[in-house]
Amino acid sequence: MKFTPDMKILVQGITQPIGSYYAARMKAYGTNLVAGVSAGQGGQTLHGIPVFDLVEEALSEVGYCDATVIFAESYSALDAALEAIDAGLSPIILVTGGIPPLDMIHLLAKAQARETLIVGPSSSGIIVPGKLLLGTQECEFYTPGTIGVISRVSTLTYEVALALTQAKLGQSIAVNLGSEAIIASSFRQWLEILAQDKRTEAIVLVDQTGGDSEDETAEFIAQAIEKPVIAYVAGQYTPEDKQVGDTSAIIAAQLSGPIANTTTAQHKVAAFKQTNIPVAEYPSKIPDLVKKALKYH
Amino acid sequence: MDLLEYQAKALFREIGIPVLPSQCIDHPRDLKQLDIPYPVVLKSQVPKGGRGRAGGIRTVENTIDAIATARAIFNLSILGKYPNVLLAESHYDAEQEFYLAVILDYTLRRPVLLGSCQGGIHVENVMAQMQRVVVEEDFSPFYARRLAFKMGLQGDLIESVSDIVQKMYQLLIQKDLDLVEINPLGVSANHEVMALDGKIAVNDHALGRQSELANLASSLTHTPQPADQPTDLQWTDSQGNIGILCNSPCLAAATLDLVYKAKGKPASCLIVDGYASWDVPSAASPVQQLQNALQQLTDTQNIQVVLVNILSNEAASEAVAEVIASYLLSKDENNSGVSAVDPAKTPTTGKLHSRDSPNRRRRHLTPKSLSRTELPHLVIRLANGKIDTIQDRLAALPVHWMGNLDQAVAQAISLAS
Repeated sequence: MKFTPDMKILVQGITQPIGSYYAARMKAYGTNLVAGVSAGQGGQTLHGIPVFDLVEEALSEVGYCDATVIFAESYSALDAALEAIDAGLSPIILVTGGIPPLDMIHLLAKAQARETLIVGPSSSGIIVPGKLLLGTQECEFYTPGTIGVISRVSTLTYEVALALTQAKLGQSIAVNLGSEAIIASSFRQWLEILAQDKRTEAIVLVDQTGGDSEDETAEFIAQAIEKPVIAYVAGQYTPEDKQVGDTSAIIAAQLSGPIANTTTAQHKVAAFKQTNIPVAEYPSKIPDLVKKALKYH
Repeated sequence: MDLLEYQAKALFREIGIPVLPSQCIDHPRDLKQLDIPYPVVLKSQVPKGGRGRAGGIRTVENTIDAIATARAIFNLSILGKYPNVLLAESHYDAEQEFYLAVILDYTLRRPVLLGSCQGGIHVENVMAQMQRVVVEEDFSPFYARRLAFKMGLQGDLIESVSDIVQKMYQLLIQKDLDLVEINPLGVSANHEVMALDGKIAVNDHALGRQSELANLASSLTHTPQPADQPTDLQWTDSQGNIGILCNSPCLAAATLDLVYKAKGKPASCLIVDGYASWDVPSAASPVQQLQNALQQLTDTQNIQVVLVNILSNEAASEAVAEVIASYLLSKDENNSGVSAVDPAKTPTTGKLHSRDSPNRRRRHLTPKSLSRTELPHLVIRLANGKIDTIQDRLAALPVHWMGNLDQAVAQAISLAS
């Protein structure tokens, strides 16, 4: 998957206040927004972008699109994403948050069957600094360069980007997977994408306490990723019973067996260290570890 | 959020899961109008486990006994919670007790059926016999029968138990739930099954489209959080002396890591979180939240330093600085004449060096009157924005501006120690 400035981008939910606001910002950053979709609002033009009632109508007018960014409301997001999958769009950046988990389970089953790449929900999207903005990322913390960032956190992503930028380590791409309990694409999927991205020389993973899968992620990095990977996990001192994330995720973890102890930040750090992946103690340590890893690589 | 037992049982009854005749008791005198024959079980309705062991579930034989017992249960706190209502329920003779649950497993991203032929309050026994069946594709009753079979059930129990599981699954899907649990499911000598206790966890994200549940839920939360109030993470310590204010839980987690690592003592941690950006008009105004958060932290007696770490675009940073300035200036105006801050003792704007003079230390030791009359130090970390003029306006106040997070944490800790 290549993210280039000439990608043709669709925005679903473009007439929502937030959709409209960020469509203008994406366009100002140079992103090639070719069409917007908002049912019942077709025919108008917003920030110079034509608006259509249906995804298929938009595509028949402007031609195939390379990605869609969804700003629909939380109970309409499943429908919007299914419409995008039906039209064959991929990747889908799901900015919308607060989608009921049953909707997500339904959506993910569909996405898997159609091999659609979804980022989110509750994602601030993807940025290729200086070239492309798909979502709501605050671009001023980023500079063009060769470090890829994959994050599971929201605002803290900017702290990491800022630390890298201040250390003259520009970024090739930064993707925010979303910080909700159920997210569509995983660290693993994006490690694979960045491993193949020619601009990316090293990868920084930014995670927080809560959730799981770090054992799998650490093992996958050790076995399959040739580029240096640095990890940072926030929430070392967050009490275990007050973890970021949904309490039901914790119930699920408690009841369904061997994953019960794998939800803390400490466990994640241990899993990375065990597979010799350098872990930064705090954001300002990340640049040193990246430089060191690049030197020895 | 967990529903109370009687609310869960109302949903069970609706979908056809057998429950005992029962009645809600708002006051001990309601027991005089009881329609259920004795013996009756009185159950404290609190959203907590371990009610039985705490004495919140008792069998009573007659009205006098029932009223006295109800008084005791209303006055019994279970893990800090007092019941507003009791459930009076028929007594049931169970020969066996099972555990059944249907949950959404967020890791597998699938509903999972759980069952144990050892139900009841001994969690270790329940867990030791726990069987699970993952609903991989569209649900069909065979998944429930597969669970019953794995539980080791035979004969007519396979049908009756899997019928209950199937209804629990329907409930989960229809009502957008996270968990439906029956523990115990009572089994009588003639293989009748009965949900003796039930738990339902509602998914907060789905409440907007489940009006029936939203009504039940609103009866459980005492005061709904208004949109202009910051979120209190409650990750901290009442003995601490540093108040923390961030614009997302993940940034707060990172900031707390730094403060704890440097042996600082966070007292409370508030999140002001509008939509992704500060200049987007949205229902929850981050500006209003920020004002309220500042008020809350500066008014807390033991907080000596407020550390503000808000990371967003330049325009947002400028808006934040402006809100902080107007808050502090209005606060200062109100206090002038009571206990004016001596400008000579306050730090110069924009300078990073610590001014922890002996005078300042003494200031903290002076006993405080009931309402706070002086401001704690504010360490404000903003990474961007043109805020020089705002800094100048606050030159006489104990405000320290920082661009760098590590330095801001160091400054906050040095001022608080």
